[in-house]
Amino acid sequence: MQAVTLTINQQEVSGPPGQTILELARESGIAIPTLCHHALLSPLGGCRICIVENEANGALLASCVTAIAPGMIINTRSPRVQEHRRMILKMMLASHPDSCLVCDKGNRCELRQLAAELGIGLIELDRIPQAAVTEELNPFLVRDGSKCILCARCIRACQELVVVGALDYFGRGFKTKAATLFQAPLENSACTFCGTCVALCPTGALMEKEPLYRGSVGSAVESICPYCSCGCSISLEVKDNRVVRVMPGKDPGAPESLCVKGSYGCDFIHSPERLTVPLIREGEGFREASWKEALAVAAAALQGIRKDQGAESLAFFGSANCTNEENYLFQRFTRTVLRTNNLDNGSSLYYAAARRGFHEVVGFPTVTYPLGDLALADLIIVIGADPTASAPLVDYGIRRAVTAGGAKLIVIDPRETGLAFFAHRRLQPAVGTDLALLKAMAAVIIEENLTDREFIARKTENYRALLRSLEGFSLESAAAATGISAAQIVDAARLYATADKGAIVFGTGIMQQARGVEAVKALLNLALLTGHIWREGGGIWALLRECNAQGAGDMGMLPNFLPGRQDLQDPPARERFEARWRCTLPTAPGKGAAEMITAAEKGEIRGMIVAGENPAAAFPRSSRVKEALGGLDFLLVLDIFMTDTAGLADVILPAASFAEKEGAFTGLDGRVRQIRRAVDPPGECRPDWQIILELAAAMDHPLPFSSPGQIRKEIEDLIPFYRDEGSEVNLEGDAFWESGPDRKPPLKRFPAFTAIGDLLPPPAPNPDYPFILLAESTLFHAGSGSRSARSPRLSRFTPHYCFVKMNRADARRLALQSGDVVAIISENGRLTAVVSCDGALPEGVLSLPRSRIDHPLAALFSSPVEEDALSSALKKCYVRIERSGNDGSGAS
Amino acid sequence: MDREHHEMSRSRLEEIIEEHCRRGRWALIPLIQEIQEENGYIDPAVIPVIAEKLKIFPSAVQGVISFYAQLYTEPRGRNTIRLCRGTACHVRGGKTILKLIKERLDIEEGETTADLEYTLETVACLGVCALAPSMMINQQVFGRMNPKKVGQILKRKGEDHEPA
Repeated sequence: MQAVTLTINQQEVSGPPGQTILELARESGIAIPTLCHHALLSPLGGCRICIVENEANGALLASCVTAIAPGMIINTRSPRVQEHRRMILKMMLASHPDSCLVCDKGNRCELRQLAAELGIGLIELDRIPQAAVTEELNPFLVRDGSKCILCARCIRACQELVVVGALDYFGRGFKTKAATLFQAPLENSACTFCGTCVALCPTGALMEKEPLYRGSVGSAVESICPYCSCGCSISLEVKDNRVVRVMPGKDPGAPESLCVKGSYGCDFIHSPERLTVPLIREGEGFREASWKEALAVAAAALQGIRKDQGAESLAFFGSANCTNEENYLFQRFTRTVLRTNNLDNGSSLYYAAARRGFHEVVGFPTVTYPLGDLALADLIIVIGADPTASAPLVDYGIRRAVTAGGAKLIVIDPRETGLAFFAHRRLQPAVGTDLALLKAMAAVIIEENLTDREFIARKTENYRALLRSLEGFSLESAAAATGISAAQIVDAARLYATADKGAIVFGTGIMQQARGVEAVKALLNLALLTGHIWREGGGIWALLRECNAQGAGDMGMLPNFLPGRQDLQDPPARERFEARWRCTLPTAPGKGAAEMITAAEKGEIRGMIVAGENPAAAFPRSSRVKEALGGLDFLLVLDIFMTDTAGLADVILPAASFAEKEGAFTGLDGRVRQIRRAVDPPGECRPDWQIILELAAAMDHPLPFSSPGQIRKEIEDLIPFYRDEGSEVNLEGDAFWESGPDRKPPLKRFPAFTAIGDLLPPPAPNPDYPFILLAESTLFHAGSGSRSARSPRLSRFTPHYCFVKMNRADARRLALQSGDVVAIISENGRLTAVVSCDGALPEGVLSLPRSRIDHPLAALFSSPVEEDALSSALKKCYVRIERSGNDGSGAS
Repeated sequence: MDREHHEMSRSRLEEIIEEHCRRGRWALIPLIQEIQEENGYIDPAVIPVIAEKLKIFPSAVQGVISFYAQLYTEPRGRNTIRLCRGTACHVRGGKTILKLIKERLDIEEGETTADLEYTLETVACLGVCALAPSMMINQQVFGRMNPKKVGQILKRKGEDHEPA
């Protein structure tokens, strides 16, 4: 295409056809003021502030929507243009309140900046005041219609960036406004309070609600959101040693959209409930102590247990919310100071199946393509996941791929998830039958010759075993088991196999099931059969709940893996670490999360360190876990809050939050991102890494670090894929990865297909517990709620009761209706909840959103017998429903 | 869909949507026009149904409906009164005629009587200034209005005006 040449401000410039005057001018260093324009949004041409004059014909053009044309002689600041800009702005100001002095937008207001720039003193027009209709019932943001200039940035942000579409213009002429459906207040609309509109609003019409009026912000610190593992970059705006506002970060790759937790949930760091001094148990309570004393007590107790009962009676439960540096230190401390492999991290509660599935099939933890690549997919399967609640950034990406990129979306879930509206196909398999569905899809792809034969031949192994396992497999039996017709299964399989770039996104619905490892492998089979696994825009993604679930595993905070996912039982790998750490490593297989609790019950484990996790609330059958932890000889807890687990401790050491320390998180797509210290820790809090270093020193075994930087250096030395330069391992001279500048874990061998076993018939229904209860992720709640429930704004928005969703037919049969209070009873516990009828839920299935910290869902779940069953025990359990109050009318 | 005066059945609504939805988002305006033609107005409760089918945000469907003056989200009367508020009618007492109609029907401009008989609108000029003050009911013009005539014309309930 030939470049278009024209003149802008006497300067000859050229650009590609279709480029706008504004884009070309800005590229050429010529400033044009704008208001409704925003680089991330589609051009609107609404405000006309960006007008320029074409001196060739005297036309005034809105430069943001006018394409360049040959022969244009553009003047961006002729007196005529400036006069018109002033008039346009005066007309906006004529219906804008004069409340600038008390408006919290202050100097950030683009309208005010522009008025100053254009030298507008008097407005000189009759004023048309707009009624100040402020909307502020929700705890997150305030809308003030009188300050709105109708630039539609909020509307476009809502429709194009987060693709929620809660807002659009309403009415016309003077009465126009941005409104929700039925003009409902935001909390009754589709709004998710992601805060994107607030970040983009040029005036004070949309502002974060609390705390208002704090004056200009001193500094902004770039960091990473501490909630889910999307790894959104955030900007912490700090004043007087307090984080007063969180805005989307300046990361060039990041869209300017966070979710409600990122935008408004970080206020937990200033919660008055923060632990601020070391505490030592005294009878039923605790007494405050100095760091020196608390560390000495902890060191002596741990050394005593190791001496009397052996190192195998100690365990360390680390956190997927702590940094890479801290998790690395935790495992080095446990292996070289405590001298045991009994260590694990909180992500094992949901991630274990995917970690194992990926490790066994492809030899590394997850396929790591950057999250932005989802936009390139032309078909996306979302299975057993509700990213709308659990991984909002992934949700936005999928929605954008569908609405802007034209991708097809297949949603597979027994429930109606947040993406259902956008789905081209929705499959609702019976609970626990994904395996049959995935096996059937593989069979269809092979049967119809839709495989990528060259890829299978050159880059995979074990194809024959897969073929053998599918002999005699009947599509009809899968259709019968799943409740999905054979035609729908064939259709979905064809869509996936014939797509150019097919992506798979899966979540806890896949990972947290009894045969989760096999389900993950069945998904990998599909990705290998079609070759989608290695294509940019294809690939397969596991949604992880915690910000550093990926990193904690990469750092070796796992019982049987050394840092860099290297096998503990692999002598050369072990020797590498032994050489660096100048010691021999314990080789006895370590105990994972579930085994630690069982061992504590049996008295085999006598002392434990828990850092940044809350097993007493998060593990299934919490009463049993509490008993086990309470029965330990010594429990040391490092946390920022007095959690259920901390309440059982002998010594509690107050930790620093993510905003008070340095380090890095690894997101679910493998990107390693730095967090930075924005404020000082409250009271005497110290970062976890510093606490562990001091504890090691108190145990007469100092570790050779004094800062996270030094730890990072060792990580980069010992974990090849954490070095900045790539570490591609070539297989037969042929790189596995098609492309990708990001770090890729080494591949030791080609990925292998997995023969999937037969689907077992579903367990016979237990008449005592006829319902299947599923745990559901919610947007306003994270993990066991230690942080989200202590965020003043998030917790205020959480309903004051716990509710259970139920199919209408089930409710009718039990003579229940929405609003009735019921008891949910499982073999292990009971929970009171309010019924909410849900038309989309299959009969016999209940869904319980995780929301209230005082209603621990985990209490209902049965305790796992073995390690692999731990995560599956947390998704689903069998229950019955009784009307609360035992009036006799409710039956199961 | 639970609104009591929504006469159109869900199946008929889906039929209309089905006829149009092949054209995706471009189907929106002809589709809501047809719904209005058949139903007299657009019940806001159908907005989410249309949105789901055409894959347009419900707020955007509402935005289009709220933009056009000819699209109604409230039930309309069987007869539409359009009273002239032009200059000629004004000086001949048009304002009083408006007041009398409002009192008689107990509605404001833009509203519809509870029995769904009349909807009252005002227009800038009917173009029959010689007959000022004037008004139209549906397609029929009534000129040289006076208080007595207001009573006579609007009293004849049950008798149909010329159809809309």
